Amino acid sequence: MRDPDQIHRLLDETVRRERGWLISSLVARLGPAQMDLAQDVAQDAIVKALSTWPYKGIPDNPRAWLRRVAGNAAIDRIRRSVRELGLEESWDLTAPDEDIITPSLSDPELDLMILCCDPNLSAQDQLTLALKTVCGFTAAETGALLFLKEDALSQRLARAKRHLRTLSGDLARYPTRFALKQRLPRLLKIIYLMYSWGYLPRRGKDLVREDLCREAIRLSEGLMLHAPEAAPGHHALHALLLFQSARTPARFDDTGQLITLEQQDRTRWDQAMIREGFEHLEASRASPVLTRYHFEAGIASIHAQAKHWSKTDWPQISRLYELLNAHARSPATKVNWAVSLILQDALDDAQALLDEVGAEKVAVNFTGWHLAQQKLADARGDAAGAKAALAKARTCMNSDAVDQYLAQQWQLYADGA
Amino acid sequence: MPKFVLMLPHKPNRYTDIPEAEFMDLMKDYIGWVEEMSAKGKYVSGEKLNADAGKIVTNTSGAIEVHDGPFAEVAEILGGYMVINAADYDEAVEIARSHPHMKHNETIIIRQTDPAADD
Repeated sequence: MRDPDQIHRLLDETVRRERGWLISSLVARLGPAQMDLAQDVAQDAIVKALSTWPYKGIPDNPRAWLRRVAGNAAIDRIRRSVRELGLEESWDLTAPDEDIITPSLSDPELDLMILCCDPNLSAQDQLTLALKTVCGFTAAETGALLFLKEDALSQRLARAKRHLRTLSGDLARYPTRFALKQRLPRLLKIIYLMYSWGYLPRRGKDLVREDLCREAIRLSEGLMLHAPEAAPGHHALHALLLFQSARTPARFDDTGQLITLEQQDRTRWDQAMIREGFEHLEASRASPVLTRYHFEAGIASIHAQAKHWSKTDWPQISRLYELLNAHARSPATKVNWAVSLILQDALDDAQALLDEVGAEKVAVNFTGWHLAQQKLADARGDAAGAKAALAKARTCMNSDAVDQYLAQQWQLYADGA
Repeated sequence: MPKFVLMLPHKPNRYTDIPEAEFMDLMKDYIGWVEEMSAKGKYVSGEKLNADAGKIVTNTSGAIEVHDGPFAEVAEILGGYMVINAADYDEAVEIARSHPHMKHNETIIIRQTDPAADD
């Protein structure tokens, strides 16, 4: 028997997936200028479906059912605008398999995704638009995922749609190979951001937004399947997502407490995902250019290989962080690099790196930086310094799971450990 | 097993005057309940009725006349009905108690089908 929570989750996911698919298909037909119409039609259709299921139960194949109902509702709605849009009277939304009008990726969701990666939009706008349309999240969900207030979200969306409305013609509907090539790196970045938001929520009580992580992997898989050639770094990014996801079963204990990489029971890691990750890592060698995903996947692969935290190849990890930082400088990379140095007792080198970060404004509100300072002080036997650093980490904005973890660490000091 | 019909009336504006997200959450409660009852072998079937006024066909004047339904003026309209299996009215009432309709609306009307018509 399916319990009510499970049914809610199943429904939420089905509805979201189908909404994304419908919006994508409709935008493929109607052009990006009709994004609002596409969203309305998709929503109408879903509401219609949801008002029938209470009497019939969930159909054996909810997706097929929803598509049929939604397709009909969409056609009804579109018919009213057929003349003004200059569309053919008959087109069939009910057969997704035949839904190919030679778009470049043969996949309306990816086409729309590419469309969202418009270079004239900021990365945040692109991400917002993608979540709201392709991924099928509602406005409220999208806002919650990105911690945007409703006003800010609707402004972002309005700006993005206003821009899309200025595009017209087939080129806007079906990205050319050139546009595809140009936009693939952005698409990878959106997938990367989506995954990051899901893997380590920065605020709130969610431990991990699995739906967001899954969606990122799904889009990445779809892109892998449909893109005519792999984008530079795509295999590496995919490997990274798989290595990270493999750890999910070990990341939290039964009470929902965060378990750090150091403490995780590595036998609970998903070995099939890790194997697949290595296949993609291998394939990523063929990429003509190195991307940040290569270095990050490399680091994740070293963790994936190590049977225990103590057996980790830290020198190799330090080297990769160094390369990553040379490729794309960032405080977070430097902090991680410093931690890998601390674990090799290269304390002065670590200190130098942490000082560099400390000179930047972000450091004071950056939990990771304070925790690295704590680790360094611990390694030097400076208990007071370590405690002070932990206290500062606790003042940063963290998700509830991280806050709990920090409180637990704090308790260790209080217990006189 | 005897069958009972649960009739589910609601106020005419019950579902039109709420935000869509709320409507969808309500529907999820109903769907969850139907799933649960189906799994227990209690749910038989159901139909949602359209919210239009409907038609009334009469022959009181000797000839068949067709009128539009009177629903515009009524306090509640029938949203749909569900058929369930229950041993007796007591069990049917128990089942109705657990129905999300009792959480989100006010009334459920229960009628037993004539057992002679059961298979």
